[in-house]
Amino acid sequence: MSKMPATTLTRRGFIAGAAGTGALLAAGPGLAAGKTLNVLSHKVHQTVLGSGDADLLKEWRKANDAEIAFTTFDSNPLQDRLFREVSLKETEYGVGYLIDNRPTSQIAALFEPLDAYQSKDAIEDFGDIAAGLVQGMTVDGKLIGIPVRHATQGLFYNEALLEEAGISAPPTTLEELIEQAKKTTFTAKAGTPVTGMVLASDLAVFPVMFARAYGGDFVSPDLKLVPNREALESGLAALRGMFESGSLPRSYATTKNDDQVTWLQQGRAAFTVLPFARGAQLNNAEQSKFPGRIKAVEFPGSAAIKGKVPMSSVVEAWAMSIPKNAKDKALAWSFIREVSSKRVTLGMAINGNGPVRVSSYADAGLKAKNPLAEVEAKVLKTARGAFPPFPEAARAQATFLEEVQLAVLGRKPVKDAVSAIIERVKPMMPA
Amino acid sequence: MQLQRTARILPLLAPVHLLILSVIVLPSLYVVWLSLNTSSFGQAPSFVGLQNYWRVLTDPAFHSALLNTVVLVVVAVHLELAVGLGMALLFASGLPFRRFLLVAVLAPYAVSEVTAVVMWRFLFDPDAGPITLALRAFGLPTLDWSFEPSHAMGLIGLLTIWLHLPFTFVIVYAARLAIPGELYEAARIDGATRWQAFRRVTLPLLGPAMLIALLFRYIFAFRLFSEAWLLTKGGPARSTEVVAIYLYQEAFSFNAFGPAAATAWIMVLASLLLAGAYVLLLRRGGISHAH
Repeated sequence: MSKMPATTLTRRGFIAGAAGTGALLAAGPGLAAGKTLNVLSHKVHQTVLGSGDADLLKEWRKANDAEIAFTTFDSNPLQDRLFREVSLKETEYGVGYLIDNRPTSQIAALFEPLDAYQSKDAIEDFGDIAAGLVQGMTVDGKLIGIPVRHATQGLFYNEALLEEAGISAPPTTLEELIEQAKKTTFTAKAGTPVTGMVLASDLAVFPVMFARAYGGDFVSPDLKLVPNREALESGLAALRGMFESGSLPRSYATTKNDDQVTWLQQGRAAFTVLPFARGAQLNNAEQSKFPGRIKAVEFPGSAAIKGKVPMSSVVEAWAMSIPKNAKDKALAWSFIREVSSKRVTLGMAINGNGPVRVSSYADAGLKAKNPLAEVEAKVLKTARGAFPPFPEAARAQATFLEEVQLAVLGRKPVKDAVSAIIERVKPMMPA
Repeated sequence: MQLQRTARILPLLAPVHLLILSVIVLPSLYVVWLSLNTSSFGQAPSFVGLQNYWRVLTDPAFHSALLNTVVLVVVAVHLELAVGLGMALLFASGLPFRRFLLVAVLAPYAVSEVTAVVMWRFLFDPDAGPITLALRAFGLPTLDWSFEPSHAMGLIGLLTIWLHLPFTFVIVYAARLAIPGELYEAARIDGATRWQAFRRVTLPLLGPAMLIALLFRYIFAFRLFSEAWLLTKGGPARSTEVVAIYLYQEAFSFNAFGPAAATAWIMVLASLLLAGAYVLLLRRGGISHAH
C-alpha cells in the first residue's frame, strides 16, 4: 500500500482555494445590477412582461440599475405564501400580486396603503384604469393594490362542432345555450364522443354565472347571502338538467379548470366558460385540433332577464401591492408605476394579459392581435367578482360548492341544496 | 461512574439531539400552542383553550373524513400485507426471471406520488381511459370513480396499495429469506403438509417483520393525502375526503390555523391509538411470542 496520500491537495492549497472561491462569490453581485427587486407573482404575470429583446421593462431596469427576481406560484399557493411573507417581521419581497377577493380588512392592514405614493408620484393617467377594478382593491377606504390583470369569463364554443350539429349561430339566451349543449352532445364525424358543455366543479365561478343568468347571485357585492333564492334555484336546476341529459360530463365532479382547456382543444366538448384571455391558447395550432374555430361570446342571461338586467359575468382581477414589511418600498412603487403605464399595459395585453386600462382596448394593434378584445371590453363593463371578500369567504365558497355538487349530481333536491347553502353559510357571513 | 460516562458521551450525541429538538420537538410544541389559540393571517393569536379541539371533534365533515381514513387504512394496509406476503412466498419459492420481476415489483416505489396519480387518472379516465375502454370492450363493469364515492374510495385504495406494496413486500421478503431451510426440512420429515409448514413455520417466523411492516404502514397510511387530493380533491361533495385533506383545507384554504393544528394533534393521537391497539391485539394473538 502506498504511503502517498490519495490526493495531492494540501491543507494550505485547500484553504487558499476556498478563500479564493469565497472572494469570487462575494465579488459576484458587484458585477451584476446594483439592486434586486423581489416579486412574488403567478408565472403568467412574469411571462406577459416579455423577455430578452421584447422585455417591456428593459428601460426601467437600466434606469434603476435594478434586476427583477420573480418567485412564481399557482394562485392559491401564491396567496398563501404572500400572506405568510407579509406576516413576518421583515420580507425580502418588494411587490406581491394579490387576487381581488382575498384582502379582508385584517389582510389589507398588512399591505402599504398606496394613496400617499399615488399623490406623491402618480401613475400615468390613473383614471384610465377601470374604476370597478380600483374599487375592488380599495379596502376600508385605502387603496392597497394597483390593478394589473383581469380575467373576465366568456362563453367559448367550437364553431366546427356547432356546424356539425346544424347550429348556425351561438346562443343569445341561457335557454338556447342549454338546447345547443344538448344538440352538441353527440358523436362527431371524426368519431370523437362530444359532451355539450364542460365545466370545472371546484370553482364557484360557474354556478354563480348560472345564478346571475336568472338575476341572482351567491353573495352580492353588499354582502347579502343568496339575494334571490328563486334565481339560484333556477341556475342550479339548469345545471342539474344538463347533467341529467348528459350535456355535462359524468366526470363533472372531478373536472378541473385545465380539463376545460384540453376538452375544448380536442373537440371533446362544444362549450365551456373560461377567461377571454384563454382564446389564444384554445386556438393554438400546436395544441388545438380546431385552431381558429374556437370562438367566444358573452355568457348569455336567461330570456327572463334579457333586456331588463344586464348579465354580470364573473371577473377575477389581480393587483400589485407592497407589503408593509418590505425593505425598499420606493423601488417597489417605481416598478408598479412602470408596469401600470399605458405602454407596458398595452404591451402586456398584446402578450395575452387582460388589460386594466380602458384605452388599451381602443388600440388597433391589440384588436388585430386579439379578435376577442372588443367583446371582452363590452363584458368587462358589467362584470364583477364571483363574491366579495370577507374573512370566511373561502370556507363559504367550499360549502357552496359542496351543496352545488350534491344538487347537480342529483344526490339532493335543488331546493334542499339551496336551503342548506343559506343555512350553512349564514353563520360565516360578517355580522 | 454512570454520570461520568453520560457526560463523556453527551457531546457526541448532542448534534443529533439538537437536530431532533429543532426539527421535531420545537415545531410540535409550536403546533400545540397554535392549537390552543385562534389565529389567521393578519389576526393576532388569542387563547381559546380546547375550543379548537372541540370544534374539530364535533364537525360532521371531520367525522366523515376520519371514517374514510380509517376504512382506507384498515382495508388498504391489510390487503397490501396479504398481497405482499403472497408475493414474498412466491418469490422465495423460486421464480423464473426473478431479477426482472423484482425490479417490476419494486418500480412503483421509485415513482413519485404525483406522477402515479396523473398516470392512474389517465388510465381510469371515465370517458377515454385505456383501462375503462378495455373493460367496456369486454363487456365488464367500469370504475365510475368520478361519480360514485364508493368507486372513488376503491380507486384511491388500489392506488395506495400499488404505490406502497414494494415497502411491505421488501420487509416480508427479506424476513422470509432469513428463515433457515433446515426448518422446512425438519417439518417435512415430521410429516407436515405445505399448509402446516406455512402455519407453523413461516407465519410465526415472519410475525415480527409483518408487525413492523404493518405498524409503519398504519402510520404512513393515516397521513394519506396526495392520492385522494390529486384524484378526487376529496369529492364528489367531500365524500372521499380524508383527515389529511381536512387538515390541509383548514390550514391552507381557510387559513384557520387553530383548528388545523388541533386536527394535526388529533391525527397523531388517533394513529398512535390505532397502532397501539393493533400491537396489543397482536401480542394477545401470540404472533410476538414466535421468536
